[in-house]
Amino acid sequence: MPQAPVPDILPALPEIWLAVAAMLLLMVGAFRGNASTRMVSWLAVVAVAIAFVLVLSGSKETGTTFAGMFVVDSFSTFAKELILVGTAATLVMSMDYIRREGMERFEFPVLILLATIGMMMMVSANDLISLYVGIELQSLALYVIAAFKRDTLKSTEAGLKYFVLGALSSGMLLYGASLIYGFTGSTNFEAIGALYTQAGQEPSIGLIVGLVFLISGLAFKVSAVPFHMWTPDVYEGASTPATAFFAIAPKVAAMTLLVRVLIAPFFGAVDDWQQIITLIAILSMGYGAFAALRQANIKRLMAYSSIGHMGFALVGLAAGTEQGVQSVLIYLLIYLVMNIGAFAAILTMRVKGQMVEGIDDLAGLGRNNPMLALVLAILFFSLAGIPPLAGFFGKFYVFLAAIDAQLYTLAVLGVLSSVVGAYYYLRIIKVMYFDEPAESFERPIGREMTLILGASTLFTAFFVVFPGPFLAWTQQAAAALLP
Amino acid sequence: MILSAIAFYVFAAIIIASAVLVVSARNPVHSVFFLILAFFNAAGIFVLAGAEFLAMILVIVYVGAVAVLFMFVVMMLDINFVRLREGFLQYLPVGALVGIILLIELVFIVTTQVNVPEVLAISGAPTPNISEVTNTHALGRLIYTRYIYLFQAGGLILLVAMIGAIVLTLRERPGVRKQRISDQVGRSRSDSIEIKKVSPGNGI
Amino acid sequence: MANFWIDWLAPFLIIVAQILAVALPVAVSVAFVVYFERKVFAAMTLRRGPNVVGPWGVLQSFADFIKIFFKETIIPTGANKVVFLAAPVVTFILAFIAWAVVPFAPGWVIADINVGILYLFAVSSLGVYGIVMAGWASNSRYPFLGALRSAAQMVSYEVSMGFVIVTVLLVVGSLNLSDIVKAQETFWFALPLFPMFIIFFISALAETNRHPFDLPEAESELVAGYQVEYSAIAFVLFFLAEYANMILMSAMTAILFLGGWLPPFDIAPFTWVPGPIWFILKIVFLLFVFVWVRATFPRYRYDQLMRLGWKVFLPFSLLWVVLTAGVLVFFDLLPQG
Repeated sequence: MPQAPVPDILPALPEIWLAVAAMLLLMVGAFRGNASTRMVSWLAVVAVAIAFVLVLSGSKETGTTFAGMFVVDSFSTFAKELILVGTAATLVMSMDYIRREGMERFEFPVLILLATIGMMMMVSANDLISLYVGIELQSLALYVIAAFKRDTLKSTEAGLKYFVLGALSSGMLLYGASLIYGFTGSTNFEAIGALYTQAGQEPSIGLIVGLVFLISGLAFKVSAVPFHMWTPDVYEGASTPATAFFAIAPKVAAMTLLVRVLIAPFFGAVDDWQQIITLIAILSMGYGAFAALRQANIKRLMAYSSIGHMGFALVGLAAGTEQGVQSVLIYLLIYLVMNIGAFAAILTMRVKGQMVEGIDDLAGLGRNNPMLALVLAILFFSLAGIPPLAGFFGKFYVFLAAIDAQLYTLAVLGVLSSVVGAYYYLRIIKVMYFDEPAESFERPIGREMTLILGASTLFTAFFVVFPGPFLAWTQQAAAALLP
Repeated sequence: MILSAIAFYVFAAIIIASAVLVVSARNPVHSVFFLILAFFNAAGIFVLAGAEFLAMILVIVYVGAVAVLFMFVVMMLDINFVRLREGFLQYLPVGALVGIILLIELVFIVTTQVNVPEVLAISGAPTPNISEVTNTHALGRLIYTRYIYLFQAGGLILLVAMIGAIVLTLRERPGVRKQRISDQVGRSRSDSIEIKKVSPGNGI
Repeated sequence: MANFWIDWLAPFLIIVAQILAVALPVAVSVAFVVYFERKVFAAMTLRRGPNVVGPWGVLQSFADFIKIFFKETIIPTGANKVVFLAAPVVTFILAFIAWAVVPFAPGWVIADINVGILYLFAVSSLGVYGIVMAGWASNSRYPFLGALRSAAQMVSYEVSMGFVIVTVLLVVGSLNLSDIVKAQETFWFALPLFPMFIIFFISALAETNRHPFDLPEAESELVAGYQVEYSAIAFVLFFLAEYANMILMSAMTAILFLGGWLPPFDIAPFTWVPGPIWFILKIVFLLFVFVWVRATFPRYRYDQLMRLGWKVFLPFSLLWVVLTAGVLVFFDLLPQG
């Protein structure tokens, strides 16, 4: 029996580097103890930065390795860079928090690194098995991160809930994958896609059932309605940096994975999955808008907000065109930056050494801390989609793609729920500026936080001035994906 | 030929019977025993299929390690068996539904593969001839070359599981006196013994 | 009808004869191993040991057996009857089925399967079930504690045993026991893999619940551990199984590290002795070490036992796996297969 050739590991270099770094940091932590957490965190940030450079300097050509299971193209490069930015921001934001809350253990940054590897593997998945393995690596690390604050009931509950429901969704995903494998005889995306174009026939009913299960499993990971039940509780229960991480990086990874799965192998079945995605998008947008109206806890509110935002991103996917994919990528970019800013602000909400998370606690922020209030106002206006802030452009491109694909109903419903959603963002701004001042937050907020808040606010405010490079970049990424 | 057919049906029948008993046994410890029986017979079927390596690994890993830990936990549980069974009938329809769906899926897939031969042609890596290469060699060649990516990723997942288990459960308990072997070994005679000259009749 | 005789009955009878040819000597030798242990142990503690029944007390074990055989089997009221009675049977059977793959000489083996070493490992790892079943079914405190100890102990030591086996496999390139022995023709693996040999032997002590790791039946703490409630023939089955397991583990060690049936040097006076005799001599030597250890070492405390398994043996054997693999790859010594 001939020996198989040694696979080319160069395309996966960023992942391999991160894995090695995570294991090294684990050793550093194990030998130096929990006192080294801050150092491990900073080293993790450095590792992420190096991975970022590696991703950027990687080949621009589309290429696969590991027997076609791993793909690198402009699309995956773009998504990986978003994920790495989100990871680095979370790591920096978490440092002070975990020290203050008495959960300073070196495993926290290591787990975040490992989750990031999982996300990068998801983004580069070109096979049903590598897709599943990537998702599991990411999810398992996230379950632990959710329950990391193990001495509080809420965090433990969040971890358990996330784990049980996540296992259920993995089951659905696997069931769908097994059906697809059964009906196509291959797990490779290219082979599955080739079967479509070759046969030129209607996809069999079993394949569609499998696809539905696969979409359900992935919809759970992006927390789209009707698979959103875990989101509010997990967001509220988990420690705030963990929530920030959940809201940022995994969403990008899961959404890009969903896009790749639907566009790369199943482009031939676009008519079949378009209806499903449309339905999920409408439900998510509507639910995200209406359920958030009466929330008093800002982390819960951000959970509903992220459900809604994922709905908007799905609108672009529902279009099923190159323009649609591009709009999803733009949306994710803007969503990522806005959420980093919003969570950095939430992490500064501290009164007398205690973290607070009620919306009431923001009352009178306009007078107590005008700078922070201004930053928050910009971020929330942008989340609501008010022009000329970045959030508006995200929604704009998504709806444009939907209209071009003649999904008028979807676009109209999207705009309507966007209007409803604007209400609760504006309510926060009203509380900040027009309510009687509550206890003021502790200051100073720290240099790193200022930097993150400033950067994300500047990006949000001035995206309108320089959208060009981002548009070009996302377009290249979208073009790489479509056949 | 007929012997292996008989063996197959015996193994299969025992698997199904013990699987039913796993679910319906009144005592959870008995359930674990039946589970082990099912594992064993599954290993038997692997042997019949020529997959001796898998058979042994199934016994070593599942029966020898996983089920032992299962039993370890189940034996220590103090369960009210009657209350445990209360929900059984309630969930039966759902369970039956899932089972039927799985069955339909199997039928679907088997018939597709029979109907569309080209599906079979593209599937998977070719299986080497058993008489030429042993199971173990064949598996090793695939796992460490073609599937190296998945193999390593699986390792990472297990690493995360290990870190997670430690992070969520390991607690430094104050007040526990630990044995430090290095201290014991490093103790010298001069640290612990003092020789006093005692002259008779005086005491110390 | 002739066909039936040649195709079915003859092979069947041959297999049965082979099984009996292995199982009966093992069963009988158990009696002598017990006698051997008592004599050696007595000598080491300056006593005389059994010396009344038969010449030099050789028949002592048989006398004990007959006596116990005619006692009443007591089943405690609270016990789970089926499991309680199944436990000794399971233990006894497991102690004997492993012999199916043990090669006594080239070709002298009932089933020369490709994955022989895995089979041995699997069967030896199942031994815990008899103990756990016994401990649980007795519905009594001491047996239960013994069962729990046994479960944790076995799982812990299997891990390092597995790694030891992996190092041997790396050198041999086959899972077949005969191949493993043949690979030792130039030198026994006990020389290059000496630390692994020691770890394997100590793990074998733990795996058979022998001193100094006999915590599941520690008589000074748990009365007799999992055997407390057993009497008469059920007790005998446990007893026989323990010694049969000792012999098996010695055989396994001999095959993996001491060259199985091979003579120590491939020159004239040694090669006159047939292979099976060498094999038996090695087993006897290892059994002697079993007894020697028992007479020498005090019992481990439970946390020390766990510490040794997880914090010493596991990292060390893991390191040796990596080291062995590294050396083999670096000097291009990997077996071709």
